[in-house]
Amino acid sequence: MRKFFPVEELARDARFTQITMRESQADPRSSLVGESTGKRPKTNRLTPSRPDASDAARSLMHGIFVGEIQALEGAGRTCHDFETGDGRTTDTVPFALKLDMARQAWDEARHVEISVKLSDWMGTEIGQFAENTVLFEVACSNDPVLRLAGVNRALEGLAIDVFTTMKEFGDLAGDPYLEFCEDWMLADEVTHVKMGSDWLRRVTEDDPERRKKALEFQSVVDKIFSFGGTRSDSSESPIGLARRFRELAGFTDTEVTEIAEVSLAALEDRKAFSAASLQADATTAS
Amino acid sequence: MTATVSPLEFRFVKFDAALTERVADELVAALGIDRPVHIEIDETTPLGRVRATIGDDAIHLHVESGAFEDSKRPREQSETATAVNLGRILLRVRDRLHGGFGEAPPDDELSLRQMAAWETYCAGRLARLGLTVNQQRWLYNFRNRHGFTDAADAAFHQIWTADGLTWGELEAISTAAS
Amino acid sequence: MADPYKPRAPFAPWDRRQLPGLFDVEETARRVGNYKWAEMKLFEALGGWVATVPELDVKMRLGTHCYHHAWHAELWHKRLPELREMNPDRLTVPANDALVRFVEALTEPEAADQTIEKLVGVYRVFIPHFIAAYTYHKNNTSEITDAPTIRSLGLALQDEFEDWRDGEMMLQSLIVTADEVDRAAAHQAKLEKLMVEAGGIAGPGSIGSV
Repeated sequence: MRKFFPVEELARDARFTQITMRESQADPRSSLVGESTGKRPKTNRLTPSRPDASDAARSLMHGIFVGEIQALEGAGRTCHDFETGDGRTTDTVPFALKLDMARQAWDEARHVEISVKLSDWMGTEIGQFAENTVLFEVACSNDPVLRLAGVNRALEGLAIDVFTTMKEFGDLAGDPYLEFCEDWMLADEVTHVKMGSDWLRRVTEDDPERRKKALEFQSVVDKIFSFGGTRSDSSESPIGLARRFRELAGFTDTEVTEIAEVSLAALEDRKAFSAASLQADATTAS
Repeated sequence: MTATVSPLEFRFVKFDAALTERVADELVAALGIDRPVHIEIDETTPLGRVRATIGDDAIHLHVESGAFEDSKRPREQSETATAVNLGRILLRVRDRLHGGFGEAPPDDELSLRQMAAWETYCAGRLARLGLTVNQQRWLYNFRNRHGFTDAADAAFHQIWTADGLTWGELEAISTAAS
Repeated sequence: MADPYKPRAPFAPWDRRQLPGLFDVEETARRVGNYKWAEMKLFEALGGWVATVPELDVKMRLGTHCYHHAWHAELWHKRLPELREMNPDRLTVPANDALVRFVEALTEPEAADQTIEKLVGVYRVFIPHFIAAYTYHKNNTSEITDAPTIRSLGLALQDEFEDWRDGEMMLQSLIVTADEVDRAAAHQAKLEKLMVEAGGIAGPGSIGSV
């Protein structure tokens, strides 16, 4: 078995179809601009009051499901891809870090199980929606510290935001299973973020350059994981920024503010991209 | 009666106007729609809202591209989604045309609860017509609007298995469950 | 109520634990170091394979079992300093070169259509050998002086048995043709030969000598 498994070869059964972030972003249509119906809601936040609430929740739940699969795969690969050592070089990780990654693999496997059950409850079939493989791509860095920054801090941080939004959705809708499950998964994600923060600090204790590079990588990933404005403080984003749980997970106020700014920038970028695409097409058509 | 589609060619999505016309023709025949149907697809948005305007001479449907999209393959068309989403709106149109639904508010004035009840009524009938419909999806939608209770589930099954309901009967079942 | 000051036997009549055991501290540490190395190789392989298997149920079980074996490795890692080995890495080694070759052969399958080979290696060869070595150790070490090792062996064995059952049932559900029976048997034979050469996960004497 190779070290460093390519994202293109992620193994899936026949029900799944995969798309890359590039393919996803290439779609010039956007739900964030345009007033074609004349009755577009003022907010995109995922709440039960949205007319498409149950379908939007089902779609997001499927996104969580495939995200958990990739998080499981990523944690598993970190157990395998690096030799056990002191972690000072990019080809080794400390034994205890591997143990944490194995623990995370178990947690993510449980999250996949929970997601399958929840999807069934919500009337979604496995593989019903396309799987965006961006999460595993981030988990494929050759430097384990970058994986911690990208996966545990950025991705699992996003998971905190998503689960908080879904938990609130379940609570407001009175869905007993959704609220219950999201609450449990949220607890695990806070643990994973703390794990990532702790290891990032410990492994790079004597290597400020490597820490800086990792934090820069995290910032890039945070912007990618804002999914073109899907997650931000703005009500135009379906998923909000879960400030309280992020603080519990060890993010500083400054870090949360930076993520908020990056997310808003991603939202604005996406709106500009969509507007430009539509404008370009209108010009071509005329 | 025949169905027509516009545009005939698409720039943002890989849709097939001929496929849409064929699916619509079959549904119009199966549902006994008594006037031509024109389908206008808005390909600039991935949202999936479908609106109907009932005229004396024709029925005009405005469809956002997400309604016909294959959720596994973004921007590609799904025949199943096309049939189910056209079927849902055409059944609502037929309900209004055939009487018994005169008291129903216009579509854009329906409450979320009323819409969920009517959608359940349509989806159940489409399932019996042989279309691929995930009952659990509609049960989840109904529960979100009526509560996660045994009473709501019983109302859902009553509506799902019903034929020939009037608006008053549908509304009574829905109101009692919420 | 009985008189609390009345002398009682230090070992109750139902407590039949014996003092003698086959292993001294040094031998116990050597075996525990071998166990830790083998459990590490197993959890690393399981973690790596998660991304390579298309079967969703198998993927989830591998993720779960990955942690079980990491936890066993942690148990052994923590036991080593208690056995006078203050540098656990020194004893975290394979029993011999044959065991290294076994692990190389075990982890060789990677393709998505080789789930049977992956599971056979783990659940029909590696884990049965863990069960054998742990059982031998548990039944032959001093029940009094080495109680901490016995406790860890018991905890690990419980996982090993349950994981073996999970894996065997996954295999039985995947092996549905005569060709697949042959594939599984051939791979098992290939790995079992290497394990025989190694003498078990702690080398010759892993399960004593008959």
